[in-house]
Amino acid sequence: MQHLDHDRLVFLALGESVADTGEADHLDTCAHCRDEVETFRHVAGLGAATRTVRDLPDPPEHIWQGIVAEIRAVAEPPAQAETRTKAETRTKAGAGAETRTGKQTETRVEAGAGARVGVPARPGRVAVGGRRRWPRWAVTTGTAAAAAVLGVLGTLAVVETERSTPAPGRVVASGPLAAYGATPSQARGEARVFDDGRLHLHVTDLPAVPGYYEVWLINPNTGAMFSVGVLGDGPDVLLPLPPRADVRAYSVVDISAEQFDNEPAHSGDSLVRGTLTG
Amino acid sequence: MTAVRQAADPPDPPQDDDLVERFRAGDESALREAYDRYGRAVFHLATSVLANRSDAEDVTQATFVAAWLGRDTFDPARGSLLGWLLGIGRRKVVDRVRACARENRVVESVRQLPEPATAGPDPDTVVDRLVVADELARLPQEQRRMLELAFYEDLTHQQIAAATGVPLGTVKSHIRRGMASLKRRWEVDGAAPGPRPAGLPGAR
Repeated sequence: MQHLDHDRLVFLALGESVADTGEADHLDTCAHCRDEVETFRHVAGLGAATRTVRDLPDPPEHIWQGIVAEIRAVAEPPAQAETRTKAETRTKAGAGAETRTGKQTETRVEAGAGARVGVPARPGRVAVGGRRRWPRWAVTTGTAAAAAVLGVLGTLAVVETERSTPAPGRVVASGPLAAYGATPSQARGEARVFDDGRLHLHVTDLPAVPGYYEVWLINPNTGAMFSVGVLGDGPDVLLPLPPRADVRAYSVVDISAEQFDNEPAHSGDSLVRGTLTG
Repeated sequence: MTAVRQAADPPDPPQDDDLVERFRAGDESALREAYDRYGRAVFHLATSVLANRSDAEDVTQATFVAAWLGRDTFDPARGSLLGWLLGIGRRKVVDRVRACARENRVVESVRQLPEPATAGPDPDTVVDRLVVADELARLPQEQRRMLELAFYEDLTHQQIAAATGVPLGTVKSHIRRGMASLKRRWEVDGAAPGPRPAGLPGAR
């Protein structure tokens, strides 16, 4: 069977030509040519729709920083990363006042271009997660307070690191936490479960609540849940999970707003949520 | 090596010059270049489909991390770097949508307020659009100009000839060739199952 010419297929698909009788007869009987016309028509539709994706905005720079941080974390042998962690948390604690200023971003961008990126492997994930999620106002306000916080965090990280030697916790599951329901969308964080059975949470911009924040693990298939502990005023908390807690089954991390009401069950008021994968 | 490259026909789908080779060889500057070229497309895919912006940012980040760590598995003979990145991004977007759906089921047991997981169009359509847009941008300038007039301004070929002063026959020839390139690229790199004649290499 003689198929229709390529240009006829294109022009028929674009509506530029109308099929003459012979062509119409052929199209009636030839699935191949019909498919070709249909495909060209579909592609032309996609072509017209490309108008909406011609000038796409750049993704926020912190995404690139996160990529570099994750790749560094994977590439580095744990021992080396651990050493760097100590050194850098100390440095940051010392020079904390400067690290939260606006220069931070530029420095990190340059670092991403090939120079060493100051992102340690283990607490680094936390630090980076926190940093890239900090809103601009948090970066520019209160450097003294930031320095103080960094000092504390730095000290904690070092103490933690030294205590948990020789084998630092390996992350066995992790996931981002995002605002849930009516919670303002800037509330977010990161959850990680270490192989020593501890759950680390880093959460920022939770809305203020009259009571307190409680951390839950929920089994998405059954709806069963248990409380892991409470989150204090700071952005980070490290909570021991019950022995043999199955984070594959109880994969949803939920932080709820609870009242001081002697009611041990979940209030139903979830602020942020995320799913652990690992 | 050089001889091989010179001898090769114009690549189809388009090679990203030496970017692909450097990427696969583990040259980190190639990762940054790939991100500069295609980060916008991956981010657009994520933000188009996912309602939650931080989810979209996470998916974008995870896509490039996964691509870098899995760079050995990228086979340029089977598609472009962009197509491959969008394929990874698409799977991650779909995973995230499913995870959200699971979480919503949980919530229904906690309180009856499910939250929409997806914002917009289905990921396959977004991928296809991005792939075709990329090919359109790679076409020879005249082909691209004629197609844009046809697509965006909805001009007939006659009108395009009149508007541009290009002879009608030349307009038709540009459009025919341009359409052939777009179709081929979509068949290789596109995501959506569509009418694809059997036996074509892009059919999946």
